[in-house]
Amino acid sequence: MLAGVLLLIFLPPLVAKDLCKDSQDGFKVRLSIKTALGDDAYEWNESEMFLFRSTLAYAMRKQTKQDTYNITNILVCNDTQRVSFVFVVTSPDDPDQLIPKEQIEQAVRQNKHRINNAFLLSDMTLEFVGIPPTLAAPIIYDTEPWLIVFGVVIGAVAVGIVALLMSTVSKKRRAKEKAAGLSEEDEGIVKENGTALSGLGGKEGVYNQTFSNDNRFTEL
Amino acid sequence: LAFHQLTNPILGNPTDRLSLQIELKDITIIIIMSKEARPSWDSPMQFVLACVSYAVGLGNVWRFPYLCQMHGGGGFLIPYLLMLILEGIPLFYIELAIGQKMRLGSIGAWMAISPYLGGLGIASVVTSMYLCLYYNVINAWSFWYLFHSFQSVLPWAECPVNANRTGYLEECEVASPTQYFFYRETLNISSSIDENGGLHMGQALCLLLAWIIVYLFIVRGVKSTGVVVYFTATFPYVVLIIYLIRGVTLHGAWNGVKYMFTPKLEQLVNPQTWINAATQIFFSLGLGFGSLIAFSSYNHHNNDFEKQAVIISLINSGTSVFASIVTFSIYGFKATFNYESCLERMRLLCLNAFDLSEESISAGNVTEWIHYLNITHPESFAAIASKIEHLLFVQAVEGTGLAFIVYSEAIKNMPLSQLWSVLYFIMLLLLGMGSMLGNVTAIITPLADIKLLSRSLSSESINGLVCLLCLLLGFGFTSRSGNYWFTIFNEYAATLSLLFIVFLEVISVCYVYGLRRFERDIEDMLGHRPNWYWKVMWAAVSPLLLFSLFIFYIINYIQGGTPTYQAWDKDLVRSALESNKNVK
Repeated sequence: MLAGVLLLIFLPPLVAKDLCKDSQDGFKVRLSIKTALGDDAYEWNESEMFLFRSTLAYAMRKQTKQDTYNITNILVCNDTQRVSFVFVVTSPDDPDQLIPKEQIEQAVRQNKHRINNAFLLSDMTLEFVGIPPTLAAPIIYDTEPWLIVFGVVIGAVAVGIVALLMSTVSKKRRAKEKAAGLSEEDEGIVKENGTALSGLGGKEGVYNQTFSNDNRFTEL
Repeated sequence: LAFHQLTNPILGNPTDRLSLQIELKDITIIIIMSKEARPSWDSPMQFVLACVSYAVGLGNVWRFPYLCQMHGGGGFLIPYLLMLILEGIPLFYIELAIGQKMRLGSIGAWMAISPYLGGLGIASVVTSMYLCLYYNVINAWSFWYLFHSFQSVLPWAECPVNANRTGYLEECEVASPTQYFFYRETLNISSSIDENGGLHMGQALCLLLAWIIVYLFIVRGVKSTGVVVYFTATFPYVVLIIYLIRGVTLHGAWNGVKYMFTPKLEQLVNPQTWINAATQIFFSLGLGFGSLIAFSSYNHHNNDFEKQAVIISLINSGTSVFASIVTFSIYGFKATFNYESCLERMRLLCLNAFDLSEESISAGNVTEWIHYLNITHPESFAAIASKIEHLLFVQAVEGTGLAFIVYSEAIKNMPLSQLWSVLYFIMLLLLGMGSMLGNVTAIITPLADIKLLSRSLSSESINGLVCLLCLLLGFGFTSRSGNYWFTIFNEYAATLSLLFIVFLEVISVCYVYGLRRFERDIEDMLGHRPNWYWKVMWAAVSPLLLFSLFIFYIINYIQGGTPTYQAWDKDLVRSALESNKNVK
């Protein structure tokens, strides 16, 4: 009688442990609290485990849209110092039946950010071994930002070139008019004819020794 | 009064200059008129800055630090400075002297010495043409990176996610985000040089922009170039100083600088060290392309180029050393960062495999723990042994790999990375554009000297046509296999020809033109003759050095067998060595 009573008391947790340890439908979870939070890290204890089991129950509820999931449906085993453990989820209707892996994976993936936030962790520091994280979608731009900068720069440069070329054309036109005007005046007296001497910038000129009457250079 | 047409006393041909002699009672006035005076720099400072801007280029930033590291750190400075004195400064002096004396571009200048030497000038122009074609592609890459720095997250900081968002793209995972960004997104590189692929539109646009800017800088010849070089010569130093301050304050930078400056004097007995020092001085100063002759042809007759030659050469070498301090502090930071990330990865690996508490292994004792776990739990350790990484401290990289991959990797880990990225690529652009100014001037100056061309077309049109031609040919480098073609040009287009050209230049000046005549010309320009140091270098030391370098290159080339190149093969998803028998 006593043996039967004892068996009845200890059977459920024993069975539960076996369900958890031997099953193929469990997931290993790994938390790196010290890495994530440094000095603000919290102790991992029974209350934190309680929170974990309740967030998982929440995830199952959301995914299956059944309000029957409870903390007792989440079984945990293989606790280590790393802070890693294995968990399985039992069906609310039948405590001996486990929820298949794929369903748990879907539930976790859809609610990962809520689970992360409950523990102040991220995808890197709260790992479900076997469930890859869903990465942020790439941002799609209407116009790539680099094209905008490129457009600005090439526009400015094009304006610069056009301005330069216009000023060259207008300078040439002015010089041509001046030369046409000068050709009607006296020859012989060398005046500023707008090209060569003005090219010297109105200074006294440059002494170009190449054409001086020095015989040194003619001996080749 | 009668006008007399003057003849050129050196070439003997009639010039466009007319002289008019007016004799009064006791004075004679001689007036010399010319239709077009040769354009000139507004001040000697512009000329110096133009030469500095040309000589200080990307090679100072990415080639010298590599050589320094390969050949014994601080000890490399000894052969480097020795070569500067033996060949760098004397050869620089000769090119400036020739240009200033002849007042013509490279073709005209060498033809003035002897009509048979016209080919030397043409060789310079052709080499400059090759250089222009591929060098501006680097500027296009710099523009690409610069424009992509204006984003909240730098695109080379993270890998792009794959189709179902469960992880990163495989090509990026196996390589690194910075390498992926360079080879896949910037170049969209094909697997081999034979697969051409199409043009990369983004690259083509950036190349177009680069050539338009070059045209803007040279459209008016020295008048426009002279204004631009005030900026292109000085601003890179501002950025280098800012980077120096940022660099040495980075965590781990001191490791890099220490590594560089610890001299390993045993490298000095390796002949390769001396050869590399000689060729680095040679190419860094930009000798043989005709750019220096072109620049100095716009000088006044009495410009003191002797002082300027020494100053510019010293500035160039000083910048190399300065840039390598910056590069090595960046190296040190990157290497330390990688080392610490690797330690962290190993720590997690051990923690996860053996389910130990997080506090048990710290970054400091990871290696001890690895040994301990190997001894105590050999079977479980064997399972993770393949994932244990061996830690390399500093891996030497040179060339485009350094500038675009290594530096961008270091920048992405700095705080405020967008700012540092923009600054860095602006600096690269200024260095590259400054060198392009010299390269293009080396082509347009001889063209402008050809009377036939300059009579029928304005100088703006000639310059525009040159830029347009180079742009169209340069589009080939923006195709998917363009980087392989770039590597061919980078390694073979200029190196051997330059050695030959400069060797012939020295021989021509010393023995064909005559050292005594050259001395008289210098005395005429500067007011004093060159002293014995210059004459010894020109007549004996430099030609010998150049000749031995030339022979060495040929021997090396013959012994090297079929040239090979490294290909980025997307299917193999790692860099592979591929033998290419088509490379002539």
